[in-house]
Formats: sequence, C-alpha cells, structure tokens
Amino acid sequence: MVTIDLKDLSTREANEGIREAAARGDTVEVLNPDARHHIGVGVIHAVDIHVRGSAGYFCAGLTDTPRFHIERNAGWGLADNMYRGSVVVGGNAGAIAGVAIRGAEVVIRGNMGSRAGQVMKKGTLLCCGNANFMAGYMMYGGRMIILGESGERLGEDMTGGEIFLGGDLVSLGSDAMVTDIAEDEIDDIRAFLDRYEVPFRGSFRKIVNAGKKLRYGTPERQVRSIPYFNFSGDSDYWNHKVQEDVYIKSQIGRYRVRGYGGARELPHLADLAFARDIVPGAVGEDPVSRVRMHTLIGGKNGAKPLDLTMPVLIAPMSYGALSRSAKQAVAIASGMAGIAENTGEGGMSDAQRDAAGQLIFQMLGGRLGWNIHDMNRADGLEIYISQGAKPGFGGQLMAKKVTKELAEIRGIPAGIDLRSPSRHPDILGADDLVIKVEELREATGYRLPVSVKLGAGRIHDDIKIAVKDGFDFVELDGMQGSTGAGGAEVMEYVGIPTISAICEAERALASIGRRQDIEIVLMGGLRDGVDAVKAMCLGADAVALGTAAIIAGGCIACMQCHVGQCVTGIATQDPDHEKRYKPEIEAQHIYTFLESVRWQIAAITCGLGYDDVRGPCRDDLVALTPEAAEITGLPLCPERRNAGLPEIDAAMERALR
Amino acid sequence: MCGIAGILLKNGDSGIDTGPALIDMLDGCQHRGPDSTGFALYESGEEGQLKLRFHVGSDNEAGGAIASLKQVFDEHGARIIEEERIAGSYRVVVRFRGDLQKFSYAVEHAAKVVSIGESLEIVKDVGGAHDVDDTYDVHLFRGSHGLGHVRLATESDVKPEASHPFWATGFADVAIVHNGQITNYWKMRRRLERRGFAFATDNDSELIAVYLADKMNQGIPLKDSLASSIDDMDGTFSFLVSTRDEIGYAKDRLAAKPMIMFENDDLIAIASEEVSLNRLFPGRALDTREPPPGSYRTWSRSI
Ligand SMILES: Cc1cc2nc3c(=O)[nH]c(=O)nc-3n(C[C@H](O)[C@H](O)[C@H](O)COP(=O)(O)O)c2cc1C
Repeated sequence: MVTIDLKDLSTREANEGIREAAARGDTVEVLNPDARHHIGVGVIHAVDIHVRGSAGYFCAGLTDTPRFHIERNAGWGLADNMYRGSVVVGGNAGAIAGVAIRGAEVVIRGNMGSRAGQVMKKGTLLCCGNANFMAGYMMYGGRMIILGESGERLGEDMTGGEIFLGGDLVSLGSDAMVTDIAEDEIDDIRAFLDRYEVPFRGSFRKIVNAGKKLRYGTPERQVRSIPYFNFSGDSDYWNHKVQEDVYIKSQIGRYRVRGYGGARELPHLADLAFARDIVPGAVGEDPVSRVRMHTLIGGKNGAKPLDLTMPVLIAPMSYGALSRSAKQAVAIASGMAGIAENTGEGGMSDAQRDAAGQLIFQMLGGRLGWNIHDMNRADGLEIYISQGAKPGFGGQLMAKKVTKELAEIRGIPAGIDLRSPSRHPDILGADDLVIKVEELREATGYRLPVSVKLGAGRIHDDIKIAVKDGFDFVELDGMQGSTGAGGAEVMEYVGIPTISAICEAERALASIGRRQDIEIVLMGGLRDGVDAVKAMCLGADAVALGTAAIIAGGCIACMQCHVGQCVTGIATQDPDHEKRYKPEIEAQHIYTFLESVRWQIAAITCGLGYDDVRGPCRDDLVALTPEAAEITGLPLCPERRNAGLPEIDAAMERALR
Repeated sequence: MCGIAGILLKNGDSGIDTGPALIDMLDGCQHRGPDSTGFALYESGEEGQLKLRFHVGSDNEAGGAIASLKQVFDEHGARIIEEERIAGSYRVVVRFRGDLQKFSYAVEHAAKVVSIGESLEIVKDVGGAHDVDDTYDVHLFRGSHGLGHVRLATESDVKPEASHPFWATGFADVAIVHNGQITNYWKMRRRLERRGFAFATDNDSELIAVYLADKMNQGIPLKDSLASSIDDMDGTFSFLVSTRDEIGYAKDRLAAKPMIMFENDDLIAIASEEVSLNRLFPGRALDTREPPPGSYRTWSRSI
C-alpha cells in the first residue's frame, strides 16, 4: 500500500504519486485530504484508492477502472465522466454527483446535492439518502437508484436511462413519467444493493423519459436548395428565399434549423484593406521560403504547445455534423500541411487520431464521447463555451444523423433530435470554470494546452475571464462562423461580427495588461490567406478555417448540412451518401487549398515588407467603410477599395503556371 | 465569480478566532477569486459610538476626502474619538446619536463609504486574503462573527470599492457577501429607490443588503426577510448576511451556486466549498451539510 499524505504535498504532486502507484498496481491510501479538489483524477488502472477523510470537487473524475473509497464527503462533480470502476462515499456528495458517468458504479451512503447524474450515460448511481433538485437532469442513459426522497423535478428533461425511487416522490421533472417495473429490474437492484451492503427492503417506483420532447413535432419539409448567392447580397427584398422561409414556417410553426454560415451582410474583413500597395517585386518567386511562419500555440503556462508550420488551424467541427470520411479527409490534410485539427463535439476516432498530426480534443456540455483515454492521446484540450454561429446554444443534430454507431460513440439513444446541452453541468461561472480547467490539467499531468472556444457576444468580459482562469489560448469565433445545424434566426442575429470580436478582445486584454498571457486564434468567416493576414494585423496570433476547408474538400454550399442527406457525403451519416466521398482524394484538395493559404500569407507578409508572419500589424490596415472604421478604430480610406493586391495576384498567377 | 465564507462563534470555547479563521477559509478558496478579498468583522463597540471606514484613495485625494468628511461630521454633530489611515482607507470612530440614514447619505457624498456600524467594520482591498491581512491586520480581530469574500473581477482596474463584502448603505451593522447574479436587479432597485433609498454602487450584492436591511428596519426578523428574498429575487445566488447579533444564509431555488456548512456546539461555519471549512479543522473529516435549494436560516450569538 502506498500512502500519499496531502498535508505535505500539492495536489499535483499527490496525483502524480497516485497515478504512478496505480500504474504499478498498488493500493493507495490518501491521508489528510481535507476536502481538497481533484483527488485521484486521471487514474486509469484498476486499483483501490482509499481517501481517509473528505474529498473536494471532481474526486475520481476522468478515470477508468479504479475503485475509490471515500471515508466521508465528496464535493461537486463526484466521479465526473468516470468510465468503469467504482466510488463509494461514506457521507454526502455535493451537486452533480455522477455527472457524465459512463459505466461506473457510484454509491453515496448519505445524501446527494442537486442535478445528480446530469448527462450520465451508463452505469449506476446509488444514493442511499435523499436526492435533491433535478436529479437525473438531462441524463442519457444508465440507472439511478434513490432510496430516500427524490427532491424536486426528478428526471428533468431526461432523454434515456432509468431512475428507481425508494422514497417519496416530491415532484417529477419535465418530460419524465412513472412507469411499471419489471421483476428482473428489482432483482438487479437488490443484487446491486447487496453487493454494496446496503440494507433496504422497501419498494421502488420507476421513472423514465415520457418521450414528448425528443423529436421536433412537425419535421421541416425538404426543399430544393436555393443557392447562397441567389438570396444574399443585393437581392430583392421578398426574394425566393424569404418566400420559402415564410412558407415553411407556415407549416412547422417554429424556427428553422439550417447549416452553413451566416447569410446576412455584416462588417467583415473584406471591409478592411491593406494600407499600402504591395511593393512590386517584393513578393518574389518563392515567398514561402523567405517568411518565418512557424508558430507555437498553447505554451503560455508550461504545456507542450501546438507546433504549427503556419499560423492556421482547422476549426472544430463535429463528427456527427460531418461524416467520418469528411473528418478523416480534414485530418489527413491538416497532417500534410503541418497544422492542427480539432475533434469538435462527439468524440475522437482512431482514423482521425492517426491521420491528424496534431489534434485538439473538444469538451462540450453533453460530454458526448469525452473520456480520459482520448484526452491522453490528444495534443490539446478545449472547453467549448459557445460558438459564433449560435452563441449560447448547444449543438443540434437531427435524428437522421443520430445513427446507431454515432449514438454509441456519444453514449446516447439513437434516433432522437439531439439538442446538446447549451451549458456545462459543472461550469456555471468563472469560479467553477477555474476548477474545471485545473481538473483537465491535473488529469493529464499538465502536459496539454487547454483552450476555450468562445463565440463572441460579451467578449469584453469573457476574454478577461479566460485569461484569469488560466487558459492557454482562446479560439475566438465571430458571428460569421458556420455551424452544422443551428436556429436560422440565431445564426443571423445573435453575436457580434468577427472583426468586432478580435478588436474588443484586444482592447479588453490591454485594459488589464494581460495581452501577453494568452493567445488568440480567430475564426468565423475567414476565407483565405488574405483574411488570415488581416486577422493577424488586428491582433490574432493565428486563425482557424472551417467552411473554407470543407468547401475545398467538395462542399457545394447548399446549406442543408442539418438534414443529413448531403449529396457530397460530407454532412451525412447515411452510408449510401457517405460512399460518394473519397477521403484520400478530398484530403489532397484540402491540403492544396491550405498550401494556397500558406502562399498567400507569405506573399502578403513579404509584400508588406516583413520576413515574419508576426510582422504585419494594425498600421498595415485601413477601413473601407464607416462601420468597419468605427469597429476597428482604423483610419477610414474608402479610396483604397479598388487598390487590390495586383502584385500578389500576378505572383500567384506565376506560381500557379 | 467568487467564493464566500462566514463564521459565528456561539461561545468562547472553540479555540478559534474570527479574524484568523476567515483568513484561512478565504485562502482555501482563493482560486474562486484571485483579484480582491474582503472581510466583514464584528467586534462589540461602545454604546453611542460608530465605526466608519472609507476608501479615500492615495495621498492627494485622501487629504481632500478626509477634509470634506470632517466637515460632514461637524454638520451632523459627529465627534471624532479615534482616526487612522491604512493604505487607501480611512478609519474613524465617532460619537453620534442622530439619524443614521441621513448621516450616511451625507458622508457618502464626501467619500466612498465602506462600512458604518456600532460593531461592523468592513475591510476589503485588491489581492489575496493574506495580502489584505498584511495591510489591515485582519488576524487581530477577535469578534463574535464575520463574513468574507474573494472575487474575480472583470472590470479594467480592480477597484477596492467594487469588492465585497457590501454594507447595506444607510443601515448600521448590516453586511453581505454573495455569489451569483440577481437578474431582476434594476426592477428591485427602482422599487427600493422609489421608497427613498440610495445606492452607492451598481452591484447586485449591495441591493440584497439594502433589501434585507429595509425589511429589518420595518421590524421583520432577519429570518423572515431571508425567506421573502428568495421569492423576490430572480437569478442564481448563494449569499450570507450578518447583523450585529446574527448571521444567516439564503440560497436560490436553482441551487446553481455552491454552499456548504458545518455546525457544532461552539460555532457555525459556512463557505462555498468544504475545503474552506476543513481549513479550520485540518486532518478531520467533517460532518457537513449542503443547504437545499430555496432554503435559508439564521444563527444568533448568545448575548
Ligand atoms: C459542420 C460544422 C460542424 C461544427 N461543429 C462544431 C463543434 O463541434 N464545435 C465547435 O466548437 N464548433 C463547431 N463548428 C463551428 C466551427 O468550429 C467554427 O466556429 C466555424 O466554422 C468557423 O467559421 P468558418 O466556418 O467560417 O471558418 C462547426 C461548424 C461546421 C461548419
């Protein structure tokens, strides 16, 4: 038995000791835990860990197979995301006990706090005392057993799984109902209670999802797509798209859901121009070889940074919204180009991991596919708070795309209209967030950069919180950003434009003197290397491309990503459709596009007279419209509108010839 | 975006002193708010005397602010017994027997009031619990009860006056620490303003303090005032309130903000996280309780 005494150790040292002992197969005893946070996070070996006292937040979180024995109480987020293994708590557990568990057995001998079992997927959560407000909130699967009182709103918005209640039912949550229990279910419960030596001879009531909210009532009629350019820009007022929209809403009586980017005209990078003409001859034959583009992102706090051949990343896009093949193509291309790919929501696949040189693993509120093993093989961890296309909303995946295979990876029931939670169970403010960030770092031994994805809304405050909570970098997304599926009104009218986002972020960080403590990756409607350089002039350390990469890989911009019948095989989970997609070929296209981006970034950097991508700055930009000037604070020079980049164009033409 | 703590000693037997206890508890949850730290401390004062604390700023401003304060003291018949300047703050004890609300609104015009009370003194500044203690000697406080707060700020320069605890402007000896957000702030504030109350900040915690103080002024016990606050306030909140003889808590119905408590024969301690409570009893597993959503309670010291 290995003894770890927290009296003399930092949590980080203690956890290193616990993990080392566990790897050797030793039993571990933790003394003087004194309710400290993150005890035993990240353990992936089947050993016994005895916590002699009370544990703080996230005890046993992000683990697989260990058996924890906590003598007294546990704080919030007990057994967070635990796969297999068990936790027995002698006293009470705080809020969100058993959050997102995926197979673990969690036994609480006392009471448990609010929202127990939120987004749990598999396994058993047993509370021998009373549960509290909204137990089983948004649970997707697994079994919850409560021997005492239920608390208010039991099973609120549960999607799947079962709750067995031995004590009084205070009230049921939305879309939950009481149903009949089978004899063998009772037997199973009795066996479970016996195994953990819980004497209880009372009877049970069973609570399940009532099935009223899992699907949208009236599905949207499928329509022939009207291409983007037919209804945006200077189109007439009651154009075809508007008519179609009114017509469809007259059928379904609710907001519409669609994919792709914003279609409304907003101030954007195209409203900025370079302040000077590119010096003739400065670009030369091979600008890429003459400009330093190598970029490290994420090393601010001692983690191993992402090592990028140019300041470009792939934007997070989920497997789910995109097909496995499309994700694979993007991953291959990112590896070829020497940049980083991002899993987005919905987990990591082996193919994607192998193909991508560097891969960021994204964690969203539903914790769909999130787990310690994939965290360990990621190159960066990212907490999704929101995205530019739909700030404040969670992902949407229509039933057509929630196939059996996809549901299995995410740990949810197949065939539902999946509306991922818009919030994290354990992040309700900056104060909780800092504890969450630490949990991710503790679980992975502080090796990996931890970033935050922020859709720009109140970015002035949010970015300050990001730096104060210790993130290494921010993936900042403006309202021109795309999505696999979002409410149409939200996409067009919520958030702030990408150029506002970066300018506000820069001002906010400057105002607290913390700009140097965090890096910013800007995204949201960036189309090419020209946009990339402009973004960096405004302050971004790097940029990310989503839609552009998808288009390069064959997307025809029909804006029907949400439907699931993508004709190109990109935004679908239907094998017949996906068959059409050739990942190797499309990867080559995406790669070639990324190389054109590289070339443009280099050429403009050279042309502006710099030999490093970090050279171009605000002085190199002017605004073409009053709005853009107001937003960016750049001088208004509409006369530069037609100045263009003739030298770049000519050089590009030479290069392509 | 913060952490809170509170303690009330029921008798002298715990072996624990309020000042050091609050410093420990806040140091234990400093991760919740690294920018500023504050304490509301109660030590019984002299009958007819008021302790006042102000933020007066650095040297030049300070001189002016103190001069105008003294003028207000004169006009309201407040006689200075003790005075002291600590960092950017000014502490003064006066003999005063007039209308406290009028007096406090008047001093509010002369300088930024931190606290006024017969026994309450609020100490708050930028930095961690130990930084603030280094400047203000919080560890010397031996009173019966107190509250504490750590804060993460989003404003540009972290101002001491924006930190907690908040004093209930216009009411002696009422202080509050709060974690969360009152979403019907302006509605509630306008309601109170219509009844003649003034606010020194736009902070929702000050609103809770004034709301509760107003109720108590109407003769409603603290406990009942807390009960009605849960009905009247929208949003997410866990807050602690203290008066000359009591402390209490209230928690919203959504239970979105943490709070945990430990009670024995000698004391009651409440904090955002158990790790703070455990700081008072190192090496011991405590029998703690998490207050249920929508609940409230008060404790009084034995007088
Ligand atoms: C198909 C698709 C799926 C997406 N999935 C995610 C996701 O899982 N997580 C996320 O943070 N953003 C997601 N996004 C948003 C992108 O990361 C990013 O914000 C946006 O695409 C950037 O703008 P751009 O597409 O104009 O380059 C998705 C976007 C698309 C187009």
